[in-house]
Amino acid sequence: MLNSIYSWVDERIGLEELIRKELKEYYVPRESNVWSTLGFLTLVAFLIQAVTGIFLLTYYIPHPDYAYQSIQKIMNVVPFGWLFRSVHLVGANLLVVLLFLHGLIVFYRLSYKRPRELNWVSGVFLFFVIMLLCVTGYLLPWSQLSYWSTTILTAIPTVLPGIGDYISRFIKGGDFVSGVTLNRFFAFHVAILPFFLVLLGALHIFLIWRTGYAPIVKGGNESVEEAGGYRRQGYEGGIPFYPDLFRKNMLMVFVFLTVLFGIITFKPDLFLPAYAHIQADPTSTPLLIRPPWYFLAPYALIRAIPNKFLGISVQVILLALFFFWPFIDQRPGRNIRKRPILLGAFVVVIITWTVLTILGRL
Amino acid sequence: MRYMLLILSIVIGSVSVVHADYKDAFQKEFIDKPWAGAPIVEEGVCIECHISKNMKADYLKIPQEWKMSIHYKNKVSCHNCHGGDPADAAVSCGTPHSGFVRTPTYKDVPEMCGKCHVGILEKYLKSGHGRALKAAGKGPNCVTCHGAHSIQKASIDIINEVRCTKCHTYQRAKIMKQALFLTEKKIGELEDRVKELKEQGMVVSDLEKALFRTTAGFRTVFHSVNVDLVKEKSTLFMKDLEVIEKDISAITSELGFRKNFSAFLFILFGVFGIVYYVYTKEK
Repeated sequence: MLNSIYSWVDERIGLEELIRKELKEYYVPRESNVWSTLGFLTLVAFLIQAVTGIFLLTYYIPHPDYAYQSIQKIMNVVPFGWLFRSVHLVGANLLVVLLFLHGLIVFYRLSYKRPRELNWVSGVFLFFVIMLLCVTGYLLPWSQLSYWSTTILTAIPTVLPGIGDYISRFIKGGDFVSGVTLNRFFAFHVAILPFFLVLLGALHIFLIWRTGYAPIVKGGNESVEEAGGYRRQGYEGGIPFYPDLFRKNMLMVFVFLTVLFGIITFKPDLFLPAYAHIQADPTSTPLLIRPPWYFLAPYALIRAIPNKFLGISVQVILLALFFFWPFIDQRPGRNIRKRPILLGAFVVVIITWTVLTILGRL
Repeated sequence: MRYMLLILSIVIGSVSVVHADYKDAFQKEFIDKPWAGAPIVEEGVCIECHISKNMKADYLKIPQEWKMSIHYKNKVSCHNCHGGDPADAAVSCGTPHSGFVRTPTYKDVPEMCGKCHVGILEKYLKSGHGRALKAAGKGPNCVTCHGAHSIQKASIDIINEVRCTKCHTYQRAKIMKQALFLTEKKIGELEDRVKELKEQGMVVSDLEKALFRTTAGFRTVFHSVNVDLVKEKSTLFMKDLEVIEKDISAITSELGFRKNFSAFLFILFGVFGIVYYVYTKEK
């Protein structure tokens, strides 16, 4: 019975050929390891966010008088609402962790080099869209944490001379974080940003499909792709995506889910300080307010540099470097160990980011 | 053409009307609210004046004391006790028409506090403390035990030897403290448990209200300073507290279920991962 359904479908859409050609005969480097699964994991994490987000959307009310109550209802009245919300909340933070790790690995392996510059650029765009999703999603529960973190984040553009105040007012829809801001952020979180995310995600996957996985250099062996050529279906000595790398991907999905439910079980308030359980009150500022952990480093940098304009200029320059990096680094070769300056800069950036994140918490 | 113009003007007219309604509704719903940035009348001109150079040294510390108090925490502002208009200094401090009361006389303090603490005022006035105040103007008033602007959350520790022996021996007060002890202990425990649940994101507003109601009722009885009455009523209040405790336990067990369920998923995926790893390794 199942076989006949499969044959019927296969005859019409050529499923078997598609699987054979695009998965079984799609080769990836033999050196692919768990670090090569981070892109796939990010995709899975995003899908989990989409499913849980749609569930939350059916109960959430984007109005300052009801938003907090609707979240409370989801957490306490809706059957298993707490589970969906916890997965959405912890999953969002793990998604950011995966994004950071994925970006670091791509950089460390110098995978952004020709002909994969656009893979990097589309990835950076995706990173920004997901960060914006985090920012907009942060306000939606309308708690003290949401309100005051958003107040800090939306105040950052004011350090820009001339247009800073205008940008800040434009984001908030007024002088303060208000119901208008909530509606704006809601529209961006559930409609506008997901649209761009899907579009950019499709482009990112298409580019990976077209250019193939970047070769991985291990030890001293460096196999440089020939100029203009790239491998999509024929890696010499490579392994097929399915089942070889797919198995690793699936294994990592289980690891991801275990970590996700581990946090929900043992540290459910890891991303929720006590004032996340108090309704937003513009008349009462909590004693300690800070942005979410992934914005602590840029926040600490702005605080550390006395001249605010200089602080934000440094960040804009760093962002431009990050964005255009594949076009700046044109040297051939994919072995970062043969480039001590680049390797040193890579390590310094990671250490600085970590230190700034710790300082941002103080 | 004339019909066209007529239709067009009707359409534009109705759109304008609808738009005007929408604007009003929008203004009401989204602009005239504190979260929308509407002017917040919190303490208004009172604080401005009380921290200025013109203020007498004794009155300068009032804003700071108030900001440390339970009243500040519960958004009870200057005008709630002293009356007046917090948005207008001339009305607030100038004329008695606004109902503004500067420092009440020692005898009038209970009436000021009793504007909100109605039940307590009633019991207090009938008590030995209240009768002494009214008769001789010398009995303890609210401020004697609770303080004024720096008032904190009431606790059983307010009854202590140092404070009570200012007026009489500690013996009677000690008996009262013992009578209150078990119920107050229970209230404290339940308050801690409710707070803990709240910090875990559970909805406890009904529990908070019930606990507040019971606590307020119990403390109202206490202000009669009648040990027998306190002992008699304590049994009833303990029964109410037991009902609240039952509800707290139900929420706690719901939390336990959640923890167990997510732990189950944690173990499930962990085991799946290990089995999958072993299985694919062999292949």
